[in-house]
Amino acid sequence: MSYDDVEIEDMEWNEELQAYTYPCPCGDLFQITKEDLRLGEEIARCPSCSLYITVIYNIEDFLDKKSNEKLEPSKQQPVAVA
Amino acid sequence: MEETEKAESSTNTKQEEEPQQVWSWGAGTDGQLGTTRLEDEHSPQLLKLSFLSPESVGRISMLACGGAHVLALTSGGKVFSWGRGSSGQLGHGQMVNYLYPKPVTFFDSYSIIHISAGWSHSGFVSDSGCLFTCGDGTFGQLGHGDYRSHCSPVKVSYFVNKNVEQIACGMRHSLVLLKDCLEDQVYGFGSGKRGQLGISKDRIRSVSLPQVTNGLEDVEIVGIYANGDCSAALSADGYLYTWGRGFNSTSDVHCPQYVPSSTSFCQAALGWSHALVLTGDGEVFMLGGSHHGTLSDLEKMSPARHLSANSSGVALEKVSGLDGVKVGQIAAGAEHSAVVTENGAIMTWGWGEHGQLGSGNTSDQTDPVAVNVGDEVQNKNTQLEVYCGSGFTYAISTTYLPSETC
Repeated sequence: MSYDDVEIEDMEWNEELQAYTYPCPCGDLFQITKEDLRLGEEIARCPSCSLYITVIYNIEDFLDKKSNEKLEPSKQQPVAVA
Repeated sequence: MEETEKAESSTNTKQEEEPQQVWSWGAGTDGQLGTTRLEDEHSPQLLKLSFLSPESVGRISMLACGGAHVLALTSGGKVFSWGRGSSGQLGHGQMVNYLYPKPVTFFDSYSIIHISAGWSHSGFVSDSGCLFTCGDGTFGQLGHGDYRSHCSPVKVSYFVNKNVEQIACGMRHSLVLLKDCLEDQVYGFGSGKRGQLGISKDRIRSVSLPQVTNGLEDVEIVGIYANGDCSAALSADGYLYTWGRGFNSTSDVHCPQYVPSSTSFCQAALGWSHALVLTGDGEVFMLGGSHHGTLSDLEKMSPARHLSANSSGVALEKVSGLDGVKVGQIAAGAEHSAVVTENGAIMTWGWGEHGQLGSGNTSDQTDPVAVNVGDEVQNKNTQLEVYCGSGFTYAISTTYLPSETC
């Protein structure tokens, strides 16, 4: 059973983990990546225990970002090489 | 005969040298168990805490256990911290973990009298009534009027002309209790989305400056509690007030509500989805905790004695399985509970996946189980106390010299 239902706006973006996170009662963090969200995944898991939460979000918000990001790397790539 | 005498004298010597013994168990991957190992422990681990010598800083008078960090307050008013420090919650001026207790040198010239550890922030109250906070400030939970994090304690200027008595740190919010102040005695700041600040009937996302908690006018509050998105207070006349996230999936409560009860309470403890209260007769009651709180099985819960049901339909249930043994102290982790009985036993129940119940395994328990900390603590001069972090537990036994007992 899902431990909790959490809205995406209540999750925090963790740069290091490259994932949206939310506190797990074990002390670790529930995690879900942007890629998971784009694929319609709604379960954020804790790497340390069996608990998981259900993430409430609008998949459209993440599909839009995907198309933006697809453009950005191709633009930035030459800069990175140089 | 000689052997007996030897044994006794060595015991005495040991007690003089070690007036305190500290054990930890449960989730340990951030160093919060103080074992210098980064792993879970399913049974109590006796810690070697070199700072615990009476000549140096005195004894631990209080522990505060958070998401994955621990603060220890000594009888000399000094603070030690260890465990996860990635948000600056240890107050050492760095954002790194410490696997063993390290003095918070910021307080060298202060005397601290109260501490609290939240999910990733910490609060400290000095004997002059000043409040200091450090750690994650993303939700305004440090009370400095902004959303910055701090890795060293910073004085909360809002309270400079007020006399702070207690601080309680939850997941993303904080509560403050003022001393000798009947009006405007409780304040909240940080995330308020679940009503945990009690500052408005409207849904408040967050506030970064302290605001008065409503609904506690004309009530003398003696204790405040914060954990997860829940808040609670205990009044001088023994009532428990709760606000914030609803227990057992009930709706959120935006203003402190007292829990109707024919019995008065002398202690309270708060988890992420349950609360414990202790009566003057040593009985323990639990509020919530039958859905996924303490992750216990609703079917197995004994509905033996419902004390009451508040307006949101959540009932206080007597904790069964203590066999009529009186309880002297209570503590609550995110999803587990621990108590000390009057005959010196530690009992735990709830979620056990990380070994936080100390029973030697990772099973959940719906009924209290005894924790074996090794030597029986039966000495009448010895006092046992338990403290719970999110997924871990500490026990401290303090042996008082006969001259110190009162």
